[in-house]
Amino acid sequence: MVLNLPAPRFLPCGDAALTVEFAPGIDAAANALALALAADLEAAPLPGLCDVLPTYRSLTLSYDPCVTGFATLRAALRPRIAALRPGAVEGAVRSIPVFYGGPACLDLARLTAEKGMTEDALIALHLGAAYRVAMIGFAPGFAYLSGLPAALATPRRAEVRQRVTEGALGIGGGQASVNSVAAPSAWSYIGQTPLRLFDAARARPCLLAPGDRLRLRRIGEAEFDTLAARACRGEILFDPETPA
Amino acid sequence: MAFKVVKPGLSTTVQDLGRPGYFHLGIPEGGAMDRFALRVANMLVGNDEGAAGLEAVFMGPELTFDADTLVAVTGAEMPIFVDGEPREGWSAFVVKAGQTLRFGFLKAGARIYIAFGGGIATPLALGSRSTYPIGALGGIDGRAIAAGDVVPVGEATTMTERSLDRSLLVPVSAPVSLRVLTGLYWHRLTPACQARFFADEWVVAPEADRMGYRFRGGSPMEFVDREQPFGAGSDPSNIVDGCYSYGSIQVPGGQEPIVLHRDAVSGGGYFTLGAVISADMDLIGQLQPNTKVRFTEVTMEEALAARAARRDRLAKLRAALA
Repeated sequence: MVLNLPAPRFLPCGDAALTVEFAPGIDAAANALALALAADLEAAPLPGLCDVLPTYRSLTLSYDPCVTGFATLRAALRPRIAALRPGAVEGAVRSIPVFYGGPACLDLARLTAEKGMTEDALIALHLGAAYRVAMIGFAPGFAYLSGLPAALATPRRAEVRQRVTEGALGIGGGQASVNSVAAPSAWSYIGQTPLRLFDAARARPCLLAPGDRLRLRRIGEAEFDTLAARACRGEILFDPETPA
Repeated sequence: MAFKVVKPGLSTTVQDLGRPGYFHLGIPEGGAMDRFALRVANMLVGNDEGAAGLEAVFMGPELTFDADTLVAVTGAEMPIFVDGEPREGWSAFVVKAGQTLRFGFLKAGARIYIAFGGGIATPLALGSRSTYPIGALGGIDGRAIAAGDVVPVGEATTMTERSLDRSLLVPVSAPVSLRVLTGLYWHRLTPACQARFFADEWVVAPEADRMGYRFRGGSPMEFVDREQPFGAGSDPSNIVDGCYSYGSIQVPGGQEPIVLHRDAVSGGGYFTLGAVISADMDLIGQLQPNTKVRFTEVTMEEALAARAARRDRLAKLRAALA
């Protein structure tokens, strides 16, 4: 395949998992490869493979060491990787309504001051970007996004907040997120979606999947409350409106 | 059949062997911290080894029963009483309808496992009964048991009381040695720091739970210089968020290592230096705060041999209790 990436690195993670690393940092091509490999392994599983978790630039596989091993998997994966088609995972287009206020809007004022932007300019920049779900992880259904404009990159905070509310939209370094369940976090938060990203009782526990393309839609407090109530009752899963 | 919770203990949860297959959704496998102990408890009462039981940490619950029930308690050393009469650990005994099961003070280890003939019969959540509070999954409404809860138990296959030949159990050595396979970002540590990690004596910190065990008392990490990849931030202990596999050793801020355990998050932005081998993870679940620990480097071959030895030991127990 023709991608400007070095040969993948195979890294052991104990005796029952390994990571295939396609790039050292956030990289769209590496993420596309990780998603394509995950899809390939789902379509044609390797013996002894348990869980497959794609990330921004790598893929971690857990396996049963009684059935397979690091060297066996590495040998089996190399030709599979070489045969991957980049962009094999198209991803669904999803609209995410966002209220830039309320209890999850914890760091908007600080960020505008730090970056010398007006609130409206910062929100417009955040809102206008084309995001892709790079990884689901950390917490159930938590969506890690790529596509954050470089001007919005913000170092992680020194202090960890013990509970950031569900649905919060975060920035951690050059990464962005739509949080799922309430969880501790050292990221900065500027808004909240009323959609329920995770609900174990649902036939589809996780709303978003790696590869999904997100468009953010700005909403006010009243619409947030209406949509949150409807999402909570299970009346809506996705945004009923499409963004303009 | 059911038992009623009179006192829940400190944090007592329904656990089986977990829910593999959902890690890519951010849901950890979960399940018993000491899988060996849960398996043996289930064997003793004639259950499938993966049946759901109770895991109680540091303090046992107090339970009353509405029908005669075969019970086994394994794991940590904690006195067991049925209506005030002592019972043996690592044995199956009948608790009669109306009787109360309670526990004395913890003597050694950290977690007891209580198996009930027929197994706990709470609803399955994503294929498992294991309690995972962050996702509100499994157990009783996704939480630890509470006073007043009535916990359903399935149909028992036997009421035969029996005990285990204790020589089949392996005593824990002191100081505890946790075997480690280095990996992932190990190369980012200086050689001196790598040597100190294994030479230092660590102790279990109070922050030790189902998500992870923190260790302190050893030297902080020392990193080789690098150019930070885009997205990783400026702290050398931060990485672009990646997957944390089971047993990974992460070092937030480069200070104190945390071994990620059954309910750990599936990913995050802390550097990981390797992983505790799968054969030693049950042991971590039995460590109390302040326990002295050394990390010992092993090869993949040694890790796999340890895993095979553990499997053989379980097979011996299975044969002895068949």
